[in-house]
Amino acid sequence: MSELSVETREMGEVSLIYPRGFINAHTVRLFEAEIQRAVLAKRFKLVVNCAGLAYIASAGLGAIMGAIEEVRENGGDIRLSELNETVRNIFEILGFDRLYEVFPTEMEAVLSFRSQGS
Amino acid sequence: MTEDPPTFRLEVPSETRFLGLVRDVARKMAELSGFDDATAEKIALAVDEAATNVLEHAYHGAGDRVVRVDMDQGGESFCVDVVDDGDPLDPARLRGELDIPGLEKERRTGGLGVHLMGRIMDSVTFQRAARGNVCCLVKHKRPAPAGR
Repeated sequence: MSELSVETREMGEVSLIYPRGFINAHTVRLFEAEIQRAVLAKRFKLVVNCAGLAYIASAGLGAIMGAIEEVRENGGDIRLSELNETVRNIFEILGFDRLYEVFPTEMEAVLSFRSQGS
Repeated sequence: MTEDPPTFRLEVPSETRFLGLVRDVARKMAELSGFDDATAEKIALAVDEAATNVLEHAYHGAGDRVVRVDMDQGGESFCVDVVDDGDPLDPARLRGELDIPGLEKERRTGGLGVHLMGRIMDSVTFQRAARGNVCCLVKHKRPAPAGR
């Protein structure tokens, strides 16, 4: 597995971001760039599907934090799905699980945007 | 940790591409110390964060320096010293509660790594020693008794 690859797919108004590998200070620019690409395209409803994410260091959490204000100011959100145990633990240690919506499946995360009508 | 030789010493250039190696070695050493997989993963993350701090705040991105990681797993605790010869850590980075919404509003993301290290390890200390700046991370192999 390479250190990190990031793909984005679009499902209606929602952009699905798929990081595969690990996010640390070395790889974070790629992840950050993919979030910024969506924001610049004025796509503010983002789901980060973490199924392929082995672990995330604070640099990766910082990339989410750095974009969240602009995303929410524009009626969107960054939601997460399919966290493995390692990534979920890291979220819980810092209390991110209380500040960001986390879903067991990608589809639940996508549908959460529809159910709020935003 | 004393100046006794460590169980394992890793020296890597001060480049982010070596962080994955530091993390992998730290995880393996934590496993050899008897920690379960989940705890070993967390310890490895704490060591990754300490090394990242060195690259960003001691060496300010310079890639021609050395980060030394000494690991001692022989006693009742797993001890990791992350050593550099760059600028000392600003003590202000160690103060204050983690305020994620506040950081988001200010578009700042700093300080997360130090908080992660503190919440994962039993002890995190920063010293200025003859051998350089030392970030000492300690995880007890058995939980400390309640009330301590």
